[in-house]
Amino acid sequence: MKLYNFPFRKPLFIFICLLLLTGCWNSRELDELGIVVMLGIDKTEESEYILTVQVINPSEIATDAPTTRPPVSTFSTTGRTLFEAFRRLTTKSPRKNYLSQLRLVVLGTAVAEEGVMPVLDLLYRDHEFRTSFFVTVAKNAPVESMLSIITPYEKIPANKIMNSIESVERNWAATKGVSIDKVISSIRNPGEDPVMSGITLLGEEDTGTNINNVENVDSPTKLEIDELGVFKGDKLAGWLNENESRGLNFATGNVHSTVITHPCEDEGTLSVELLRTSAKMKGKIESDQPVIDIKVEGEGNVAEVDCKIDLSKPDAIEKINKHVEEAITESIQATLAKAQKEYGSDIFGFGGVIHRDQPKYWKKVEKEWSSYYQDVEVNIDANVKIRRKGNSTQPINKES
Amino acid sequence: MNKGNEQGSNQSPSKESNSPPLLPPLEDSLSHIETELGKSTDLVIRRFAIYKTRCAALYIDGLVDKNTVQNFIMEALMLEMPHKRVSVKELYDTIKQASLPIGEVTEFNDYEALFKRLLSGETILLIDKEKKALAASTRGWRDRGVQESTSESVIRGPKEAFTETLRTNTALLRRKIKDPKLRIESKAIGEVTRTDVAIVYLQDIAEDHIVQEVHRRLEEIDIDGILESGYIEEYIQDAQYSPFPTVYYSEKPDAIAGGLLEGRVAIITDGTPDVLLVPALFVNFFQSSEDYYQRADISTFLRLLRLVCFNIALFMPALYIAFTTFHQEMIPAPLLISLAAQREGVPFPAFVEALLMELTFEILREAGVRLPKPVGSAVSIVGALVLGQSAVQAGLVSPAMVIVVALTAISSFVFPAYNIAIPIRMLRFLFMILAATFGLYGIILGLIAMVLHLCSLQSFGVAYMSPFAPMKAKDQKDVIIRFPHWGLFSRPSSLTKKNEKRTNPSSKEN
Repeated sequence: MKLYNFPFRKPLFIFICLLLLTGCWNSRELDELGIVVMLGIDKTEESEYILTVQVINPSEIATDAPTTRPPVSTFSTTGRTLFEAFRRLTTKSPRKNYLSQLRLVVLGTAVAEEGVMPVLDLLYRDHEFRTSFFVTVAKNAPVESMLSIITPYEKIPANKIMNSIESVERNWAATKGVSIDKVISSIRNPGEDPVMSGITLLGEEDTGTNINNVENVDSPTKLEIDELGVFKGDKLAGWLNENESRGLNFATGNVHSTVITHPCEDEGTLSVELLRTSAKMKGKIESDQPVIDIKVEGEGNVAEVDCKIDLSKPDAIEKINKHVEEAITESIQATLAKAQKEYGSDIFGFGGVIHRDQPKYWKKVEKEWSSYYQDVEVNIDANVKIRRKGNSTQPINKES
Repeated sequence: MNKGNEQGSNQSPSKESNSPPLLPPLEDSLSHIETELGKSTDLVIRRFAIYKTRCAALYIDGLVDKNTVQNFIMEALMLEMPHKRVSVKELYDTIKQASLPIGEVTEFNDYEALFKRLLSGETILLIDKEKKALAASTRGWRDRGVQESTSESVIRGPKEAFTETLRTNTALLRRKIKDPKLRIESKAIGEVTRTDVAIVYLQDIAEDHIVQEVHRRLEEIDIDGILESGYIEEYIQDAQYSPFPTVYYSEKPDAIAGGLLEGRVAIITDGTPDVLLVPALFVNFFQSSEDYYQRADISTFLRLLRLVCFNIALFMPALYIAFTTFHQEMIPAPLLISLAAQREGVPFPAFVEALLMELTFEILREAGVRLPKPVGSAVSIVGALVLGQSAVQAGLVSPAMVIVVALTAISSFVFPAYNIAIPIRMLRFLFMILAATFGLYGIILGLIAMVLHLCSLQSFGVAYMSPFAPMKAKDQKDVIIRFPHWGLFSRPSSLTKKNEKRTNPSSKEN
């Protein structure tokens, strides 16, 4: 067969050209990536951004023979814009930073108080970011040192924080993992304000950055997730403590499971494990003032009894139901007191509820919602049912 | 048994008229034959006389069964013939009608037929001054015998395989299908080799136009020799430049018999155990004859597994390249970290790494086929230890890549039909190149092109991708899911529309 008669000679020619003309221009090998798992953003006094990235050392994490090198490294630099800082990082980091696997962004208090919107713009705009990462605020230490703490048990600090947030949210309900989507939509929504988990540094900064930190059984320096930062618009307004954070989650139906402990009538305490809760908010207008009804439904088990109470009697269960309902109501009220009166931040999304339920009224108040918000009347109705009381009806230390 | 040969002789008259007629004086004929055959040493000419009429028996040593020649030709003619004076015509008729106790005797009158029959193992009887000659079927030669299939092994079901002898192969099919409608039609193909090729089908099931098409395509073959059915396959396949096979072949009589029952046409070539079966659909290559011997549930599972393996074998290295060099964000973080750790210090890009390992495997595989058996174990040592473990230890490839290549390699062996693995082996490299240049985008483009190509193929007038494209709901019962036999009511409608019913649905009660 003559060569010029070869079948498919045109497609073949084009195909060969394709191979020669392309250059795999945006392909990157895995060993050329600096996989960034945590990103810290803070501001200097000259209002330049300080960008800190936590990059993993894959060979230290997935290895049978670990060396003394740390599992992660941090690089820090400054820049007038974040993007500039990112590119300037290449002067310090040997590999180009790869941001798609980002787990966590830690914002410094300075940035949070000044407003987070300008910072979040790049994170939201750039195509390389996956928008599932959590946004948090460094509560009591500079961002740079937060990112440099070597955590025990979990080799990658970013994973430790992310897992802690998820685990606290699921089992204790005292925080809330907030992704960047959620933050931006709450900021943009006039009827809602965002919250973000706070990260607290326990112990000395200096010991935490050393690998020795994890050579102790009880690491001297730890990172803790507890309080929630309350934002007004995109500016940090203040903090909610543990109980208030739970109150927020109760009111918004974000409690998967938690524990409520209350004192018994005579002495001792009793703990109830809440298993399923749901919350509904309804907005109505009474004498031209917005009113919100929060209805919390819950189911629970008696988990631990340390007092004289006979659980075989229905009225004992009824009493426990009451106590738990009161506890829930109280924590919601505590949260309301802080958010509504002190910070004036609509973290519950009351505005959104009014918007949904009373759209005509909302149109009137939308512009000056924050002034109306402080006077919103809130009715809380908690309803809890204890389903199971465990394997015994009596406390084990009760004399019989 | 006779059918094939009768067919053969019926088709020859047109040619016989062109070739020179036999020369009446016996010695002239014999010297002509000897000259034509170049005094070959395996030509045996036995001259004898029946009451002064000189005769000669000719055969090729090694192609005839000597006992038959001895007992039923030599003895019958030399010892038992009445020794009285008769005319040549009378003698010829007596021999033809009464004196040759052999099943198959043909009469002919030209040299072409003579040589054809002589060289295919028949014994030729020439009588002096007679223009016609007789050929007695005395074929018999050493062959391998029916043995266990080596290239298509099964756990359950018949183990026998076709042999190199056409007659044995047709007999194996007859033994499976004792139906008078089983047609065996023969052709001799190849100007020099004159290889016997038999077309086998069930007349009341196979579509006539498909049978005619097979005849037509075989008729058009003009080649000096056919040594294996692969020669025929290349002539009759529909898509000459497609990597995908449009002709199915098997060396198992039960697989071919199953195909005949579905209305396909088998083409048996003398000299090879591999029997062709047309039309062949894409899905046929994923179906094993064993699927019908095992329970329906496990057969369905195995067919699904084969489809999964098809995808693994075709796309796995390409996907690995695409994910690790373009789409790292799609890999779960712990896996990414582990992969990145493995790649630390590997000097080649993932594509080169994959290409090296795939080529290495293809080399090992080819070497494994060609190596003499005693040194075969050396290949497995080299393959497993030297290339697998040592390459990783030396830091030339990452362990993940070894896993990918190993899985790909093993997946390409699960198909019951060897020839469907061939396009997979070749296209795999194409997909790897696409993945290395365009990532997932390239793979999807390649996939679209491949599916379009597959949908454009036909095999003997039947759409290659049927019953998926065109979709035939009725035929889905025996494609990926195999229904139990009592549920397979009808034959595949894309193959045949005759005699559709296979079973009576109520028969399962018995």
